[in-house]
Amino acid sequence: MSTRALKDPKFESGLLVVGKDVPRTDAIPKVTGAAQYVADIHMPGMLHAAVLRSPHPHARILSIDTSAARSMPGVKAVVTGEDTAKRKWGAFRPDLYPLAINKVRYVGDEVAAVAAIDPETARAAVDRIVVEYEVLTGVFSLDEAMAPGAALVHDDTPGNVAHEFAFERGDVDAGFKASDVIVEGTWDSIRQWHSSLETIGCVAHWANNRVSMWCNTQTPFLARGRYAIALGVPESQVRVIQTEVGGGFGGKSGDDNGSVIAAILARKSGRPVKLIHTREEEFLASHPRMPMRYWVRLGFSKAGKVLAKEIRMWADNGAYTGKSQAILGAATVRHDALYKYPNARAKSTLLYTNLVPTGAFRGFGNPSADWAVEQAWDLAAEKLKIDVVDLLRLNAVEEGDVSPHNHKITSGELRQCIDKAAELIQWKKKRKARKDGHGLGMGCSIHVNGRRSFGDWDGSSAIVRINEDGRATIITGEGEIGQGTLTVLRQIAAEELGLPYEDVDITRPDTDVHPHSLGALASRVTYVAGNAVKLAANAAHKQLMAAAAEQFKKPAEDLTIINGQIGPKKGAESEFKPVSAVVRANIYKRGGEAIVGVGNWDNPSEFPDHSRYGNESGAYNFAAQAVEVEVDRGTGVVTLKEISAVVDCGTVIHPAAAQGQVEGAVVQGIGLAMTEYFDWHQGTPTDPQYIDYPLPSADFVPKIHVGFADSYEPSGPFGAKGLGEIGLDAIPAAIANAIADAVGVRIHQLPITAEKIHRALHPELYADEKVARAAPPKGGVWTRLATGRPSGTRPFAMELVTPKTVDEAITLYAAGDTAIVSGGMSHALRRERTGFPQAKRLMNVGRIPELLEIINKNNCLRIGSAVNQQTLITLPELRERWAALAEALDAAGHTRVRQMTTVGGSVAPLIGGFDMPVALLALNARVITATPAGRKTRTLAEAFEKRFAKDEMVIAVEVDALPAHSGSAFHKFLPRGVMETPAANAAATVTLDANGKCIAAHLVVGAVSWKPVVPDLSSLKGAAFDEVKIRAAVQAVRDMAQPLANVRGSAMYKRNMAVEIGARTLIRAWQKAMQNK
Amino acid sequence: MLIKFTLNGDPAEVHLKSPDRLLVDVLREDLQLTGTKHGCGIGACGTCTVIIDGAPISSCLQLAALCDGTDVRTVEGLAEAGVLHPVQQAFINKSAMQCGICIPGHVMQCVSLIEKNPNPSDEEIRASADSVYCRCTGYVKIMDAYREAAALLKKAGKS
Repeated sequence: MSTRALKDPKFESGLLVVGKDVPRTDAIPKVTGAAQYVADIHMPGMLHAAVLRSPHPHARILSIDTSAARSMPGVKAVVTGEDTAKRKWGAFRPDLYPLAINKVRYVGDEVAAVAAIDPETARAAVDRIVVEYEVLTGVFSLDEAMAPGAALVHDDTPGNVAHEFAFERGDVDAGFKASDVIVEGTWDSIRQWHSSLETIGCVAHWANNRVSMWCNTQTPFLARGRYAIALGVPESQVRVIQTEVGGGFGGKSGDDNGSVIAAILARKSGRPVKLIHTREEEFLASHPRMPMRYWVRLGFSKAGKVLAKEIRMWADNGAYTGKSQAILGAATVRHDALYKYPNARAKSTLLYTNLVPTGAFRGFGNPSADWAVEQAWDLAAEKLKIDVVDLLRLNAVEEGDVSPHNHKITSGELRQCIDKAAELIQWKKKRKARKDGHGLGMGCSIHVNGRRSFGDWDGSSAIVRINEDGRATIITGEGEIGQGTLTVLRQIAAEELGLPYEDVDITRPDTDVHPHSLGALASRVTYVAGNAVKLAANAAHKQLMAAAAEQFKKPAEDLTIINGQIGPKKGAESEFKPVSAVVRANIYKRGGEAIVGVGNWDNPSEFPDHSRYGNESGAYNFAAQAVEVEVDRGTGVVTLKEISAVVDCGTVIHPAAAQGQVEGAVVQGIGLAMTEYFDWHQGTPTDPQYIDYPLPSADFVPKIHVGFADSYEPSGPFGAKGLGEIGLDAIPAAIANAIADAVGVRIHQLPITAEKIHRALHPELYADEKVARAAPPKGGVWTRLATGRPSGTRPFAMELVTPKTVDEAITLYAAGDTAIVSGGMSHALRRERTGFPQAKRLMNVGRIPELLEIINKNNCLRIGSAVNQQTLITLPELRERWAALAEALDAAGHTRVRQMTTVGGSVAPLIGGFDMPVALLALNARVITATPAGRKTRTLAEAFEKRFAKDEMVIAVEVDALPAHSGSAFHKFLPRGVMETPAANAAATVTLDANGKCIAAHLVVGAVSWKPVVPDLSSLKGAAFDEVKIRAAVQAVRDMAQPLANVRGSAMYKRNMAVEIGARTLIRAWQKAMQNK
Repeated sequence: MLIKFTLNGDPAEVHLKSPDRLLVDVLREDLQLTGTKHGCGIGACGTCTVIIDGAPISSCLQLAALCDGTDVRTVEGLAEAGVLHPVQQAFINKSAMQCGICIPGHVMQCVSLIEKNPNPSDEEIRASADSVYCRCTGYVKIMDAYREAAALLKKAGKS
């Protein structure tokens, strides 16, 4: 019999709504665009805000001059720290001012803000605020923060130590002494940004001495309490209304200065103010995942029983604390309830640095702990010579266990999770039939369901009304952030009330109206709010049945509700009457009463003490995840083949939503492990955008098998527990374990990069490496900040001209102050908009007929410069005759990108890293240009050598088809596996004679030097296909390449990849030539 | 400057404050069509995808001035007289959304594919879904919705 059948009193009767994939409450507004997010709010008289942020990681503010900004037309308010209550705020350790007072502590720290009639004016005004700084020494790493005599981020915090935990439970030394096998190691994790596709924002409006704030916060009541502190007003003077939330993951549960600044600007201007983070601001100044250095030691008996655990951990708080103190705690203790540890010792230290403050992110410390400890378990399995699946099973906690910190496991099906995860990925079968370069890894995790942390209450309060039309309304302040709260709470209420799901409505949070609740954090809503709603529904149900009993003149227990009708149990249909009639009759009578059920439920947990002892949650959820990878030994690139993720969340209330939570969490875990990281310079990411920080996209996601353990939590609503976070926690460790299994390389530092694996596999290729000192980056946000153009946008008045002929266009272009646009992704335009305007006019060349022509005549393709790449790729003969070009267009990735990118836009800037010019060079293309002096045709190679004249406009490119018995190929190398700027790209052509001997071979490697690299391949003339020979010929590329180190790889890795990718591309072109006889 | 174009089937005229005004701002601010979302501003995330002359484009990069004379479609134009477009219905049927902020972009991207190619292969679906970020779903259900949309369209064609 299943776990649920044993424990669930309702199992036999069956549940009507719980467990069903009912339509999501928020579905129609979200697919029609009607859902109102904070950026969609428009109010009469509304102003737009922009924020001036610190360009320095650590500096004293000497003066701020806002006079120029204030006198700009359209500016309605300018505020600095002087306009604030000068009160520090923060969830646990108040250390943050809404606007800087005296000092700035990271690049992005809020210094001043403007409200103006439109966003452009607000940003322009921000650029006119002049701040004088005294730059101070900063600390940019854990080592720098704890070095003796280190600069202090906060003067009142010696040693930069913001918090510490230390404990010993049991006898750890004895445990290690008794151990037969001991493993230890240190693992580092990194900052990860929530990257919700909706950034943080707020619309604030003061009226009648109260402020209303429309926020995309996850936690309306906690936000109200903290905004009140930051604004220096009582809580009831603040009203927080939750808008639709476009993704949270913890990022919208923090101390967001933006909302407070919006309120301050609204007070000063007397008008509603909208403040929305730009994407860059979201990267600079939202609060990402906290990185940790995690040393762990585990001791085991020969049979594999764990006997002792010890950890030492240091965490990078960033400049302000927010929730990081609690995150530190979670990372210190939580894992101790995952396996049967008899003895555990820990010390953990939270350190301030002059880096972006960290905060809550799905997993809340657990992913960093799991990154270390789940890899240590994998090492132990190796040393013990026990399959890791068996080792984890052997030590898994189970129902009835109590952890060293008094975590009480009331339901726990970890062993079932492990078994199912192994089964779904066919662990045993694949372990037996090993394939070279393939590997399997596993990781497990445990999570809370709510956590007692904001005082001795982790409860929820809800109201359920049954209206006179027979419909019920749930009134709760918990809120929807996309995880399905509205739907799940409606299911729970409908089940409890006996009403159809469609007859139950739910309100959206407004702190003026709703009862107190803590909101979406700590995987608590289904479990905690679900129980409160269930109790409220139960109370309403009792009132309804009492009313019915009076009206039917029968005892309530003899009555039942079926599908919105009340009547006697086993009564005839005619004896039933609608719920609406019962409710109406109960209200409209002398002394009548409305039906209003109230439910209050507090998590049956303990408030942990200073050493984090205490059962912090009433229930715990579990997960086991298995990953299969394939590692390319030539590049180090990891391909995820399959992932299985099995979660114990008790009863599954909405299967599709639950699967969605797990699938989404797994993919965020993949991002944390493999794609999401920046280049840094002097305390800031150099290009805080999705170019340098790609999220996993659909094509990167492997087959994910999601499963749920058969489980029932006695204290949960209908046996349910939470599951929002747990799907992420162990993914990075499971991937690392799989890589170790595949190629024997153990990764200790996130992110997992192809380069790290390649270096470990081929140390000889890095023997003569000289590491150049990092130079300040060119372009990007860092340059803007350093040169005092912080807003990212300058409004600039210019004209747009649309010539109809080439002659007209070249006359305009020759004037020298014209930027060409036609596709959309104009480089010129981006440069103009980001602060260094040069052009006076934009010229749209997209309406000149000659530039839109594609002519295929006499084996020669002539492509007009305004032709977009999407039009070109659909040319039927392209793939057959000009394969390298077709493959280069494929490599652009997406229809949308090709649609907005023209041939001229790809070729004219003569950038060797672009895909199209690399393919065209290999195909010996010619480029046709025009100036007022006339037209000119030359090879593209010559153009790359000599560049274009300033007044020269690209009209078309011409490319001949290759002779018979030829092949061509293109390859774009993306070491992170997701679409971005390539680390190298290559195109090759090969022509063979009738005997299959090489007549001509041509290779172009791009993105590894300021111009494309073209090696001399004359040694291959007359040769037959021979991979070794081809690889030898391509070696020259290593020394010709002069790559810059950046987020995509070190210079040496890129050199090596230039050779590897060049060789592979040439081999493929050759193989195609052999087929094209 | 004045531009004229077709917007969700109706004629539209907009006076642009400046010629570098972007389509996403014209839609959201000047025309109050806030269904199109602003995600990154550099054409990377696809959240702002709209359809111009049948092709998906990033409205955050698209100069509005260049839309003069074109046919622009946004998520608001899909449902007709309260009846959802099959692609919208497919996203609902498959619970292919969480926070929903990227969904207008995914829906428009899916419409642009499926109108040209009513029977997309799994590979074509992957390539299309790949062009729009989603931070919540892990894309599994979004790709299910593509398949569902193709099935719903087929069904609608038969009846």
